[in-house]
Amino acid sequence: MKRKMQTFLSLLLALVFVFVTACSGSNNEGTNTGSNNGTANEGESTEPMTIRLASGDNNANWDDMQSEVGKAIQEKTGITIKQEFPVGGSDADMFALMVASDDYPDLVMPKGNAGKLVDAGALVDLRPLIEEYGPNLKKVYGEYFNRLRWSEDDDAIYILPQAGVNQTYFEAGGGFQLQHQVLEAAGYPEIKTVQDYENAIKAYIEKNPKTADGQPTIGMSLNGGEWQILISVTNPAFYATGAPDDGEFYVDQETHEAIMHYQRPEEREYFRWLNHMNDIGLLDKESFVQKYDQYKAKIASGRVLGLIDQDWDYADAQNALKAEGKFGATYARFPVTLNESYQDHSFQGTGYLGGFGIGITKSAQDPVRLIKFLDYLASDEGQVLVNWGIEGKHYNVVDGKRVIPEDVQAMKSNDNNTFKKTTGIGNYLLSARYGDGVKDPSGNYYTTTFPEQIQTSYSEEDKKTLKAYGATTYKDLWPKDDAFPERKYGAAWTLPFETGSQANVIFQKTQDIMKKRIPEAILAKPEDFDKIYDAFLKDLEDAGVAKLNEEFTKMVKDRVALWSK
Amino acid sequence: MIRTVKRGQATRMEKERVGVPDLPEQKRLGGAQMKPLTENAPKAGAVNQSSRFWTKAFQQRYLYMMSLPFVIWIFIFSYVPVWGWLTAFQNYKPKDSILNQKWVGLENFIELFQDERFYIVLRNTLAMSTMGLIVGFTIPVVFALLLNEMRGQLFKRSVQTISYLPHFVSWVVVAGLVSKMLSTDGGAVNQLLMWLGVIDAPVQFMAKGELFWGIVTLSDLWKEMGWNSIIFLAAMAGIDPELYEASTVDGAGRFRKMWHITLPGIRTTFMVLFILSIGHLVSIGFEKQFLLGNPLVSDYSEVLDLYALKYGIQMSRYSYGTAIGIFNSVVSILLVFIANGIYKRVTKESII
Repeated sequence: MKRKMQTFLSLLLALVFVFVTACSGSNNEGTNTGSNNGTANEGESTEPMTIRLASGDNNANWDDMQSEVGKAIQEKTGITIKQEFPVGGSDADMFALMVASDDYPDLVMPKGNAGKLVDAGALVDLRPLIEEYGPNLKKVYGEYFNRLRWSEDDDAIYILPQAGVNQTYFEAGGGFQLQHQVLEAAGYPEIKTVQDYENAIKAYIEKNPKTADGQPTIGMSLNGGEWQILISVTNPAFYATGAPDDGEFYVDQETHEAIMHYQRPEEREYFRWLNHMNDIGLLDKESFVQKYDQYKAKIASGRVLGLIDQDWDYADAQNALKAEGKFGATYARFPVTLNESYQDHSFQGTGYLGGFGIGITKSAQDPVRLIKFLDYLASDEGQVLVNWGIEGKHYNVVDGKRVIPEDVQAMKSNDNNTFKKTTGIGNYLLSARYGDGVKDPSGNYYTTTFPEQIQTSYSEEDKKTLKAYGATTYKDLWPKDDAFPERKYGAAWTLPFETGSQANVIFQKTQDIMKKRIPEAILAKPEDFDKIYDAFLKDLEDAGVAKLNEEFTKMVKDRVALWSK
Repeated sequence: MIRTVKRGQATRMEKERVGVPDLPEQKRLGGAQMKPLTENAPKAGAVNQSSRFWTKAFQQRYLYMMSLPFVIWIFIFSYVPVWGWLTAFQNYKPKDSILNQKWVGLENFIELFQDERFYIVLRNTLAMSTMGLIVGFTIPVVFALLLNEMRGQLFKRSVQTISYLPHFVSWVVVAGLVSKMLSTDGGAVNQLLMWLGVIDAPVQFMAKGELFWGIVTLSDLWKEMGWNSIIFLAAMAGIDPELYEASTVDGAGRFRKMWHITLPGIRTTFMVLFILSIGHLVSIGFEKQFLLGNPLVSDYSEVLDLYALKYGIQMSRYSYGTAIGIFNSVVSILLVFIANGIYKRVTKESII
């Protein structure tokens, strides 16, 4: 017995030693890296420094600073970015947990969660830093600098918006999509109303019930199983009925009264059309059940004739089609409306929207260095680097004009995922920047998106289709930018709710109701549609939508007052 | 031969009557040694008692020291966080420290109990966990029983291994498999049913709320059946083979043996696991529901944890989330005690 005890104890002791030595080993490593960091802080501003950046948007093509542009930035600034993305949850979870654990990276791109971080006191006021170290930042924002202030009561700047300043849209990414082969088969008919759209799909699917490789063709599919239900199902409801994107609300342009956009009678008719599409079997039955990867896989197989989505949402799948050479199955985009009396308001002006951007947290090791880093990216040199890449490699200067070599352009438009990952172009749009259509002192555009460039990025199929409609870009099919007056409040979707407020809770409830009722109404038998839509509106009433509308109206009016100062 | 067997049976019956668990000889002696300490203690005086405790503690100081790290561990990770429960009675904002908050009393609880959605998610949680509990205990036991009856060792082992492998597959993958199988677009289940002529058109299984609980329970069963049966198989392996021999002599068939020897033999193991699972009835996690669910079935798929995430943490209402957490914990503790109480009443044995 005693001997047994002794062997047991000695075994235990041995185990403990193993642990202790293992721990002390890692401790040594820890102190080493710690001291490295220490010297980095004291040294010059191009000393190597690693910073953590938490991004709310997943970027599958993030290159971990290993791309050509990434290395150039590293060389220039000494900064290595370690980017973190939401894992297994939404960006809302990621930042909520960050606040709950009080553990922040150096930089954050919190998307719609900036309010949470500000409420928790996690973000640094950038105004004094910009005044002292950020001449380029100030220059880029220019006349809109006052729009960066946080709120009526708080004039601090917490977030540097990343949307391009003075952006001119040359390309339209939204609308309703149809495969080029569908259009070609129908002889490029006019696609203006949902009826035209439906007819084109119907005609094609009757002749081609199966694809070349024997799979059944699908009339149209919606990405309604996940959060993109907003992009693919509910936002098109206001676009198709002549309203601009104000998030989940419709704002009266005269009185600035806001209501939830589902409450507009016009939109009921839009959903009725979707219901009809389901009834005649043209809508993919799995539209509201499928996961994003299933949706993308379907598109990549080339058998979905029509989509209602934004190009960034189906781009991965379309890139796969292009890589396989199935250009006939890629998509053309049209501003489709419910009937001739509506115009698509996608491009109704907003002025510069603050919106989503990047902020520095209170845990940042060296905020001054970070603001200098962001300022570098906002400089003329920095902007050309992140947009165009490296001279001689990704573009050449011919007669004072920047030109992208053909092989680079071919890779960029046909295999964009690899392009992004290897070159890093498009991965470093972190700081303030000019939008498309703004020229730098050398007379070139800052970005690579300008009319001529867009046309070179089109495939032959795109060009053929556009020619048939007498347009040079898809944007030409949309109403012109100045067709509608500018919205005084920018866009209402940029208005943040106070976190945890009653309005915020009601809003969440309406979203839950909508996500259940809209699919239900669309998938119902046509004679039940009105019953379900009425029940939907009743549910919204019960959840307190009237109070929410009232609150939101006030927020819109406050914004108008703040910005017209 | 016969006499030894008979004696074996008799001792067992005795054991059961006095309620001493069927333990190996050594341990039972240990238990007997411990007993006088607790039984005699009340007779001695208070001073005497405490001094005796300290002498004993001194004698066993190494044992105490060895257990100390674990006590500290449990204290830090299980008791210190309970401090955070205070936030449920506040309007917690992470900016300030926990003592520097606005106190709101029971407001968060009142709001919770007035929310209709809370009752829906509570119903879903209880329904799915109860179904999971019933299916997740009966089928693995039956499976273990059948496996245990098998003679061919190689076949038995391979079946067992194959059946518990799905346990190591992530729910993300399982959810993908399930939705692919049940898909209307070339899903295996729909094709099979069509081929058999049971249905005329593909059924949208994933879009039917009333089927959701069943789908979750069945996929959970597929994933965990083999794994859950391991522990029962182990318990069955520990049953004294003499008992089987004796009953063979008494003329019992296979089913009699299963019913009268194997099942009673694993009763304690079964009950411990069962009562512990009852404790987890309200906190079943949300992984499967989150991954298998979609907006159409949200009235059936949303569970308490998901609700706490959505209406609590995601909206920075930490206090509200904590209130839900407290409700969870209190209900769990109550359930464990009730289940144990019932078991004690019925069998005169206690697990905890």
